[in-house]
Parts: sequence; C-alpha cells; structure tokens
Amino acid sequence: MAGWLDGNLVSVVDGIAFGLLLFTIAVGLSLVFGMMDVLNLAHGTLYLAGAYTAYALSDGTVPGLLLALAAGALVGALGGAALTLLTQPLARRGHLDQAVLTLGITFIVADLLAAAFGGEVLPTDPPASLRGTVDLLGHTYPVYRLVFIAVAAALALLVHLVFERSSLGALVRATVADRDMVRAQGVDIRKVLYGVFAFGAALAAVGGVLGAPILGPGPGVDESVLVLSLVVVVVGGLGSVRGALAGALLIGQVQTLGVALLPQYAPFLLFGTMLLVLVVRPHGLVPSAVRT
Amino acid sequence: MAGRFRPLVLITVTTGLLLATGCGGASLGTGDDSKQTGPVKIGLLVPQSGTYKALGDDMKAGFELYVRQHGGRLGGREVQIVIADEGETADSGKAAAEKLVKQDRVLAVSGVVSSATVNGVKDLFETSRIPLVGSNASPTTLTGTKYIWRTSYVNDEPGKALGKHVAERAGGPVFLVAAGYQAGKDEIEGFKSTFLPAGGKIAGEEVYTPFPGTKNFQPYLSQIENSGAKAVFCFYAGGAAVDFVKQYRDFGLAGRIPLYAPGFLTEGGVLKGQGDAADGVLTALNYSADLDNAANRKFAPAYRAAHGTDPTTYAMASWDAAQVLDKAIKAAGGNVTPETVNAAISTVGDIDSPRGTWRFNSGGTPIRPWYLREVKLGANTLAGDLGRLGG
Repeated sequence: MAGWLDGNLVSVVDGIAFGLLLFTIAVGLSLVFGMMDVLNLAHGTLYLAGAYTAYALSDGTVPGLLLALAAGALVGALGGAALTLLTQPLARRGHLDQAVLTLGITFIVADLLAAAFGGEVLPTDPPASLRGTVDLLGHTYPVYRLVFIAVAAALALLVHLVFERSSLGALVRATVADRDMVRAQGVDIRKVLYGVFAFGAALAAVGGVLGAPILGPGPGVDESVLVLSLVVVVVGGLGSVRGALAGALLIGQVQTLGVALLPQYAPFLLFGTMLLVLVVRPHGLVPSAVRT
Repeated sequence: MAGRFRPLVLITVTTGLLLATGCGGASLGTGDDSKQTGPVKIGLLVPQSGTYKALGDDMKAGFELYVRQHGGRLGGREVQIVIADEGETADSGKAAAEKLVKQDRVLAVSGVVSSATVNGVKDLFETSRIPLVGSNASPTTLTGTKYIWRTSYVNDEPGKALGKHVAERAGGPVFLVAAGYQAGKDEIEGFKSTFLPAGGKIAGEEVYTPFPGTKNFQPYLSQIENSGAKAVFCFYAGGAAVDFVKQYRDFGLAGRIPLYAPGFLTEGGVLKGQGDAADGVLTALNYSADLDNAANRKFAPAYRAAHGTDPTTYAMASWDAAQVLDKAIKAAGGNVTPETVNAAISTVGDIDSPRGTWRFNSGGTPIRPWYLREVKLGANTLAGDLGRLGG
C-alpha cells in the first residue's frame, strides 16, 4: 500500500489540480444550462479567451497575473453578457438552435483568435516566483500547480457559498423555479439571467487565465475544453455546484490516476466513466435540487 | 419553463455537431487543361485551421518563397497557387483535395500535413492521375503509388535514424512513448527496427497516449519515473510537443533522463512555445536551419528575412516540392499536363536542396543523410550525422 501510494502520489495530487481546473471551467456551463436552460457550446471559447488574455498580459510577475485575472474576468463577463443577448431570442426554440448559434460563434471567435495570435500553442509561464518545483515526498512537483489547487479550491468554495447559501443565490434559484413569482416581487429577472451567464462565463475565463500555464492557449483548445466540460456536467449532474465539483474531481482522477494505472485504456477511460455514471445514475452524481 | 433534461440527447447532438464540421461535397468538372500558354494552377493542400495550422503556415511559406524567388514562375510558366484548407481530419482533408482536383482542376498538388489525409486522398490522386508532390505526410503504408511523391521522408525514418545511436548511448533501458496515431506507431516501429538489433532494451511496454486530447502528460511521466528508464524516446508534434516538453521539465525529468525524439518535437513554432524547457533535447531530422551548403544559404536567410524565424523542415520540404515541380514542368516542355508532369518527376534527378542534394528513390521519397540535433539556448543546433536512409 505504501509502495502504491509512493508510486502514484503525484498522479493523485495532479488529479486534484486537474479536477479543480475542470470545475472552474465547467461550473459555468452547468449553471447556465441547468438554471437558465441555455446550451452554450461557446463555453470552451471563453476559456481560450481567458488563456490568451493570460498570455498577452502575464509578464512574469504576480501583479501581472492579477491584472490578467481582472482582465480575464472582464472579458469573460462581457462575453457572457453578449452570449445572453444573442441566445435570448432563441430561448423558446429548443437546444439545437442554441447549439448551432453558439457553435457558430465558437468557429468565428476561434478564427479571429488564430488570426490575432497565430496557429501555435503559445508559451504562458506562471509568475517567476511560482515557477520551479517542490519535493513532494521524494517526487518533483511544480509549485504553480500546488498554488493553483489552493486558489481553485477557494474559488469553488466561493461559488458554493454564493449559490447555495446567500440570498443572491436564493434569488437565482427562485428565478429558475418560478419566473413569474419572482417578477411579481418586483425583480427584473433579465438582470438575473445576464448576471448568471456573465458570472459563469467570467469563471470560465478566469479558469483560462489560471489554467494557461497548465493547458496553454492554441487552436483546438476550445474544443477539447468544451468536450471535457460537457462530460463533467453530464457526470456531475446539471445545474448543481456540488455536482460539477464531484464530476470534475472524478474526471480529474480518471484522467490522471486512471491513465497512470491503465495507460492502455486511456482513450476509453473518459467516456467509459461517463457511460458508467449514466447507466447507474442517469441524472448525474448530484442531480440539481432546484429543477422542477 | 423547459422540460426535463436528457444528457444523452445533449451529448449526441453535440458530438454529432462536432463531427459534422469535417464534411464537404465535391462538384463535378470535366474537360482538359491543355492551354499551353496561360498560368498553371498548383494546389496547396495545407491546414489553415486546427491543431496543424502552424505546420500548414510553414509549408505555405516555404512553397511561396520558392515561387517568389523564381519570379512567380515554375518551369517557365506563370503559377497560380490555389490554397485549400486541409483542416484537422482525413474527412476535411479529403473534401479540400476533391475541391482542388475536381473544381479547380489543378495541374498538381503539394502540401498535406497529416498521414490520415494522405491515406484518404490516395485513391483520388491515383485515379484522377494528378501528381501529389507531398511535403510532409508520409506513412509507411503508402507504397505502390504512381502519382504520389514526398519531398519529406518516410514516417519511420527519424526513429530508424536514432535507434542505433540511442542503443549505444543510453546505458540502460529506454522508455518509448508516442502520440496514439499512425505517425506515432510508425516512428516507434522505425526506432525499434534499429534500436533492438543494436542491443537496446525497452523499459516496460511502449505507451501510446490518446491523440488528440492528451494535454496532461503527468500520468505518463510518473510511469517513466517508476520504470527506471535511462533515456526516453518520444514522438510528439504541434501542441502536444509543447505540453510534453514543458511537463517533462516541470515534473523534474529533464536533466535526469535524456529525451530523444524525431525532430518534430522541437521544430518551428513549438520550440518557441517550449522556451528553455527544451534545452538539451536531442532530435533526429533531415534538416537543421544552421546547415552550411549553397542551397541553404539561398533559402534560410531569405526565409528569415521574410518571416523572422528559422525555417523548419516543413518549409524546407515545401521549398523542395516547388523545386521538383519547377524542374518537372520545365522537362514536360510544350505539353504540360498532369500526366507529363508526373512522368517528368520520376526522371527529375538530383534536387539541390537546403538539406543537401537528394534524389527520389523508387518509393517516391528522398534518399538522404539524417542529422542529430541538440536544442541549445532555444535553437536546434547540428550535433552529428546519423547515416543515410531511404536508399
């Protein structure tokens, strides 16, 4: 047992880092789809925009990273607001129309980003003080990923508190459950819609800024992020923060520990896990309590 | 509000949409292209989007540089270059090739990054009898063709070139890891074909990482560490090469376990992406931008002046492809048709290339020496000769 742990400790830790990265990205998709009923396939693009922001603004210092975070959050929020504006007219026309619209936006933005930044995967190094490695019980591990775990865990906690414990979260959940009643109370529900979308999109972009040194910006990254996010959302259960966290951590471990233990099944593990979860729990690990 | 959710429907629809983007149709066209005075149309089938975009840009730049250096003419005829987006998959590549052949009715085609595309368009070129002078993709399985030429190499050659060298230097078992598609398998097989006879030993089993999609190589790096390997042979290109090399450093393997690879690991833009993480990586390739010969003195400085970076093997092979077409069109003389050009290519003889002089072998690929290169201060530098392959 000790030997096993020694051999796989790095994989387990890295699975947590990767899982938290997936959570930061996927929770927005889950909330927007689960609560607002908008299928946003441009979600991966928001990550990519955040990652390019990090590339453009990071100068190897911590203030540079903080600036990139602020800019990334702004870019994401604006992107989310724009997506709300565009998808609103399609609200009653089903998911296929939304999917086609947002996928089209993905292609357009991906082309624009490729024109602006070129076709290569761009080097995005963390601040100089966070480069380097630490010794993790005899194994080398990058400092940045440990810091990332701490920051992303704090983000996850924040999201959880806002949506499940605050009055703002209660308002959002109420909007989902009964829009007319919320409207009758004098609340402009459009603000709630825009707010949730912008918040989820900002989170994905922040994930892009923080994740750029781990999963750097380049053509095609938006698509792989989108597919991973969809898997996390399906595994975790739609519209639930805890579900997204559970799904993301599970997928994180599958993608690291699972791959380390069963490398020959690596291509199958991700979707195999999804299939298994769907068979056993068709609504995901933690189905949303809000939906009626 | 809306009804209940069905995640399966969502996934099916999404996956379908993502897959459907590669489809395309071809229009029909007949007639012959035998006007002997106007410009000739050459198709460039290179990725303009997706993972391979950077390679496609290099190939386009190399081909266009040759044409520009020769007054916009190939074989004395004015050239019109028609670019078609190969995309990322065999489907998108095939659709683009069909457009070039059937709609644009080009004289010949160059380019093609992906092995999957070349396999997919093989029959198209063979049955349409239009020469494809490919400048990158070259799977080992591509044999017995009459209209398909490659100015690059055969996929297993970089591995073959390195096998003996690594067996002699490693001083212990070597771990083999590669991207899980045909090029990766070809490279590993090529490596083993010279590595094992030279007495090399493999650490554990060879590992293929899912492609595309593997972004986090940590599980594999852990395996390498646990295997007790003395050296690593890997095959990655494009974005995966950046991720692999950076993580190789981040997880503390660089400097402890030497990393050998086919040259694509550190070729072109990926090297910039890898930064100082690539220092010390040893690669085998048919070209190094610092080679000293007459053709390279003509090619490399002009390329640097136009693009601000060292030329890559992709650009070099595409420059050569333009040269092959230049000579073949000239040799075809007054009767320039796809068939006469193809016949002329088979007798084109020595190509004065930036990598050194080479000629086609009977399989339609170059006979050339290979070079060992080491990354020093962010540039590939010549570190030795690995012997002649292809003949």
